[in-house]
Amino acid sequence: MPVSLRGTKEEFREEAVVSVTINDQTLEVEAGSTVLQAAERLGIEIPTFCYLKRLPALASCRMCLVEIEGQRRLQPSCATQVTDGMVVRTNTPLIDETRSSMLDMLLANHPLDCPICDKGGECELQDLVMAYGPRKSRFHDIKRVFHSEDIRLSPVIIMNVNRCIQCQRCVRMCEEVVGAVALGTVEKGMDTAVTGFEGSLASCDQCGNCVEVCPVGALMSFPYRYKARPWDLVETDTVCPHCGTGCQLTVGARKGEFMRVRSKWEHGVNRETLCVRGRFGLDFIESRDRIKRPMIRRDGALAPVSWDEAGDFLRRRLSAVEGKAVGGLASPRLPNEVLYQFQKLMRTVFRSNNVDCSSRWPTSLDVLGPLVAGFYTRGPLEEVIGNDCVLVIGGNVTDENPVTEYLLRDAARRRQTGLLILSARPCRLDADANAVFRVPPGGEAASLGAVVARVMGPASPPLPGVDFADVATTGAQAATTNRGGSDRLAAALLEGRSVTVLVSIDLLRSPERRAILEQLNNLLQVLRALGKGPAMQFLFDRANQLGAWDMGVLPAALPGLSPVADHAVRESLEGAWAAEIPSEPGADFDAMLDICDRGEMGALYVVGSDPLITYPDRQFVKRALGAADLLIVQDAFLTDTAGLADVVLPAAGYGEESGTFTNNEGRMQKVSKFREPVFEARGNLEIFDFVAALRSHALQPSAQSEIFGEIAQLVPAYQGLTQDRLGADGAFTKATPTAPAGEFLAPPPAPSATDRLMLVTGNCLFHNGYLSERSAILNTVADDPYVEMGEQDAAQLGLLNGDQVVVRSAQGELTVQLKINRDFPKSLVFVPENYRTLRLNSLMLRGEYPCPVEVQKAHEAFEIAPVTGPEARPEIFTP
Amino acid sequence: MFEPVLLRNMDVADGHLLSTYEAGGGYQALAKALREHTPDDIIGLVKESNLRGRGGAGFPTGMKWSFVPKRAGKPKYLCCNADEGEPGTFKDRIIMERDPHQLVEGMAISAYAIGAETAYVYVRGEYVLAIERLEQAIAEARAKGYLGTGVLGSAFNFNMYIHRGAGAYICGEETAMLDSLEGKRAQPRLKPPFPAVEGLYASPTVINNVETLACVPHIVVRGPGWFRGIGPDKSPGPKLYCLSGQVQKPGLYELPMGISLRELVEDHAGGPLPGRKIKAVIPGGVSAPLIPERGLDVGMDFDSLAAAGSMLGSAGVIVIDDSTCMVKVATRIIEFFHHESCGKCTPCREGLDWVVKVLRRVEAGQGVPGDVEELEALCKGIFGNSFCALGDGAAMGLRAALAHFEHEFVAHIKEQRCPFH
Amino acid sequence: MTMREKIEAAAAAYPDQRSAIMPALLIAQKEHGHLPGPVLEEVANILGVERIWVYELATFYTLFNTEPVGMFHLQLCDNVSCMLRRSEDLLRHVEAVLGIRNGGTTADGLFTLSTVECLGACEMAPVMQVGDDYHGDLDIARIDALLERLRATVGKATGADLAAVAPPGE
Ligand SMILES: Cc1cc2nc3c(=O)[nH]c(=O)nc-3n(C[C@H](O)[C@H](O)[C@H](O)COP(=O)(O)O)c2cc1C
Ligand code: SF4
Ligand code: FES
Repeated sequence: MPVSLRGTKEEFREEAVVSVTINDQTLEVEAGSTVLQAAERLGIEIPTFCYLKRLPALASCRMCLVEIEGQRRLQPSCATQVTDGMVVRTNTPLIDETRSSMLDMLLANHPLDCPICDKGGECELQDLVMAYGPRKSRFHDIKRVFHSEDIRLSPVIIMNVNRCIQCQRCVRMCEEVVGAVALGTVEKGMDTAVTGFEGSLASCDQCGNCVEVCPVGALMSFPYRYKARPWDLVETDTVCPHCGTGCQLTVGARKGEFMRVRSKWEHGVNRETLCVRGRFGLDFIESRDRIKRPMIRRDGALAPVSWDEAGDFLRRRLSAVEGKAVGGLASPRLPNEVLYQFQKLMRTVFRSNNVDCSSRWPTSLDVLGPLVAGFYTRGPLEEVIGNDCVLVIGGNVTDENPVTEYLLRDAARRRQTGLLILSARPCRLDADANAVFRVPPGGEAASLGAVVARVMGPASPPLPGVDFADVATTGAQAATTNRGGSDRLAAALLEGRSVTVLVSIDLLRSPERRAILEQLNNLLQVLRALGKGPAMQFLFDRANQLGAWDMGVLPAALPGLSPVADHAVRESLEGAWAAEIPSEPGADFDAMLDICDRGEMGALYVVGSDPLITYPDRQFVKRALGAADLLIVQDAFLTDTAGLADVVLPAAGYGEESGTFTNNEGRMQKVSKFREPVFEARGNLEIFDFVAALRSHALQPSAQSEIFGEIAQLVPAYQGLTQDRLGADGAFTKATPTAPAGEFLAPPPAPSATDRLMLVTGNCLFHNGYLSERSAILNTVADDPYVEMGEQDAAQLGLLNGDQVVVRSAQGELTVQLKINRDFPKSLVFVPENYRTLRLNSLMLRGEYPCPVEVQKAHEAFEIAPVTGPEARPEIFTP
Repeated sequence: MFEPVLLRNMDVADGHLLSTYEAGGGYQALAKALREHTPDDIIGLVKESNLRGRGGAGFPTGMKWSFVPKRAGKPKYLCCNADEGEPGTFKDRIIMERDPHQLVEGMAISAYAIGAETAYVYVRGEYVLAIERLEQAIAEARAKGYLGTGVLGSAFNFNMYIHRGAGAYICGEETAMLDSLEGKRAQPRLKPPFPAVEGLYASPTVINNVETLACVPHIVVRGPGWFRGIGPDKSPGPKLYCLSGQVQKPGLYELPMGISLRELVEDHAGGPLPGRKIKAVIPGGVSAPLIPERGLDVGMDFDSLAAAGSMLGSAGVIVIDDSTCMVKVATRIIEFFHHESCGKCTPCREGLDWVVKVLRRVEAGQGVPGDVEELEALCKGIFGNSFCALGDGAAMGLRAALAHFEHEFVAHIKEQRCPFH
Repeated sequence: MTMREKIEAAAAAYPDQRSAIMPALLIAQKEHGHLPGPVLEEVANILGVERIWVYELATFYTLFNTEPVGMFHLQLCDNVSCMLRRSEDLLRHVEAVLGIRNGGTTADGLFTLSTVECLGACEMAPVMQVGDDYHGDLDIARIDALLERLRATVGKATGADLAAVAPPGE
């Protein structure tokens, strides 16, 4: 009996087992399993084409037919549910003959052009024919030919319909998993062909998941086309460097040259999927603006020098600023070991707690610390979103964490998880949500407060540790925000037996970040008190943000997120490091900029980060960075910030040093090295040793594996982890949430309703910061820089889709193309933060977000075609 | 002489108008049903009548209706299958053109029985006149309160809509029809879940053929006993037979179920064309395996024909005489299935393409030794393995042609030409 | 009614907009003669459904023409019942008198000739559908007469009015 795909949660929970006999072996499986799954459990192989674990069964290829006692016809094992006492055979002459004839039929029209097919050597059709196919075909008529030339569906996807076997995996993947509904099927019968609207995929997500799941060489990656034979590739399993979802992937390189990326199917949070950034955005490591040699500033200009010269220069300049303040900023895209070592260097060698890991916003650790300690769920996303209710707060998960979004869509559509969304930005997932609370930009804190108040409504029982006087005020406050939205959300939250809250880190942009985190804390406490055992994870847009926090790359927290002020913790670390740690919390990056601006910063050490393009108020940041006595930039690429540096140290890029990332799930995964650092670049750890040595210090330990060992010893959540135990799926860091003090914090008033246009920013689908911008491939598929706004606002301003418009704030302006988005609410304006050339941060002010703007049609004179792509050059000279 | 039931208004002038229909006692069955029967009674009556589906599969109608879950909640739907794509079949068109109210009344009663308030009639797109007449009938019926909210003052609400097809034989397959109604490419669905439980918009849905539904009012008025009294007990009732091909009097005939095929062809339809002999007859549309002349003494009902290795199908009786090349007939039939394959499953999509290529070669006198065996092997690969019955139907038809007329295929291959010209 | 209004009216029969794609395409085709990309896109926008869904249906169903067809679409059935009644002879004849092959359109854009699968009118085989109407029991003489009548209607009428000229099921 085929599986009914509309099972209810109850059915999913159902434990009943049934027994089935396959080829005389009997076993018990949980009711609802298919014959195919049962066979898999017995290690009995059944060939399939249309079957794909994460998709509803289609049962169209007929490769998996089996004999079932008492059934007239052969049955598709992929879609046939085991019933108790069922007797199945997969090893009879009839089955052999049937498999062989299905394959014979598929080959009849197949071009058999394997020698020039990119799939050759890793083709499921080849493999199954080898295993089950006829040795010789009876077919001797003329083959069907759809077209002689392959069809370029998009810059990255190319199609050979002649090879298609109509398993429909691609189309179903596109609609059911990715939700893009870009691919479809045209004509019928023999003429059936997979394609995009009018034969094009120009406006799809370009995620290439269709290519990944194509069993044959029908859908192919254009960039990889004719590049290599699979057996020529040296393949390395690693983790995507782009966002915090932390997808696993396999990099294929030929003689150290990057060739392609493919998914690992059985492993990682993503299994066979990836997003466009992971699949096509790793070529950034070949970017033209890699820093080749160390550089020092001589008479105002950066000049390439040897490592030794750079060393001498740096030693002199460092001693010159002896006694003045020092600060360090490291990117949350760096591996744990590098980040750990960096804060250790800053704390023990430079004797400063001025370390931070965000070049975009201050991290309010006083509220964040307890929240993470109290609620962060370090566990598989797959399980975390299995709860009755999942509330996604802030950001745009579709664009920021695409693969997380795939899983959420699956949970909503097939696991009956009630999806709730509270955000200012609309996203594609809204369509699958039970309730969407569209809040005014900047209204997140108040709206959250409103939801809390509703959840606490008179009905709910008294909650330990929650003061009701405060709740009343919360309610009053909340009344000022969108009632309907908060009511719907609250109702759903109360209904759900178990709740998960996913929080976009994007919320930290707001100057109200503290209030937002407080309300989040309130909500989680209430949910916990109501016995909904809330699970919580952040949706980070940086690959190792959680790792960066865990490693203590924060001014007020040591490794393990323990407060610097905590004497005991400090002492034990000092013991372990055999060095002193300053007892005062340090300055976060925002404060460091002030120190620079006051001319009190002796040395600012920036590693793998480009604050000049990301931190609000470019003019100020530029002035501040310029005012530091000594600006050290350690990076793989010549960033805008590097352009202001006094010393530039070429560092290994992604894939040129090994280490570990900790993703949003708290899963620690290996980031592997698949080639040596290019040119004169050195590993980040090596460079830290180099710098420490200049200060006649030696960092112990200094090798990646040893540092890993130290982390596994000193950082509680990482205790007991060993590198070899990370295995194919990584390993989860552990932290038993410790309930924070049950104090209840009133929310701030809702932002006074304004009809001013409010500019917000964030990631777009194709980019998420300075790595993706250096990917030549992503730049061929990404849209040109754009501003997005709703139909109503555009109409009022007399603007049309595609117009060149000027976006102007009190600080500055930029000119871009307008994209009208039907789903945008009034007064919301969005410009992605990912286009260096736009210098978006020059419109922004520190401490002000969202940013009030005006938008108007660009005067012809102003119309400048925005420069994008690898051509985009920082505003400084290049060596 | 059998007095027509379903066709009684066929030759009446303006048979399609409400006035004519009412004059003949139209809509009294509906009134009776609403007045005297609960929905379950109606299902009981239909079960008792042994009415079996006229769309092809011959599934007991009452039983199908009883699969619909009683509990409320999701809406329930009734779909009338008026796609009539089976070559050699035209009965549903004629009912809709000449006596559409018979269908409207049948649907109203059936919907009442299964608890549906909404029905769709899926009419093949080419049937423009039928669609016009049915639209007119629906409008008339609504105006008279036979449709709409509170039908005839009862608590039963019922609306019906026409969904016009756009040319695809597979839409006749009930689950493909549901996908088509949902605005998708028409491709069959996995079963279970069966439509009665999870059909249109994932709600309980009953799909019945036009003729099946047209029988319902008569069963309600004249009683199940009367119906069962006509033809064999296991598949009784008045039956529409579509005669076409090489016979004297092609046309639509209403006669009892189970009448002998020979009598139907030779007496009622006037037998072969002058100077010709009957060679074979396809009894139930091209999906039904052909029967050679010597086999014509078979009863035209589901069970007798199944026993004879064929099927009643849509009762599209196609007569083939001795002037006709069977290779050509077989080729044309397979070309049809090939053209109409939805393309979902491998055996039907790829297998039929292969078969067509071989058949065309053989017919054109370019057959090679081994072609017949190749065709048989392909039939084996397709039959029983295709996703839906379209593939099966094609394979069965070809198998029958090969079984009874292999010599003609062999002759084509030997002589490298068609012996018939 | 505008095309949009017609489509919205048709959509009212269904609980789901996607169901209205087929009716919408039939309406659009009456409006535009055939269904080029921009029309498909318009239909998608009116119904607010994915445009690939519209494209899928426009190519799946044979009554939808994504390419232009002549003013009169001669659809001659060549399935078994009509074949047994010599529809091939008619095909060859029409090809000859119109000087086009099966699937072609006359230079003056008047006629497109296609063979089609069973029209469900086998009692009057051989059958041809022109526009909305069936013409049965055809032989060469009847075909010639029909083509004449169709020609005569040009300028005076189009598609819809043809019923007047040739009663159904003649
Ligand atoms: C390929 C195929 C085509 C079919 N075509 C039709 C058809 O044109 N009309 C019809 O009533 N049933 C057709 N059927 C049968 C339907 O699937 C279904 O059994 C029938 O409509 C049920 O109605 P009934 O029980 O009243 O016969 C077809 C089945 C298949 C497999
Ligand atoms: S047999 Fe397969 S391809 Fe053929 S119509 Fe049925 S499902 Fe479609
Ligand atoms: S895998 Fe079961 S039919 Fe394709």
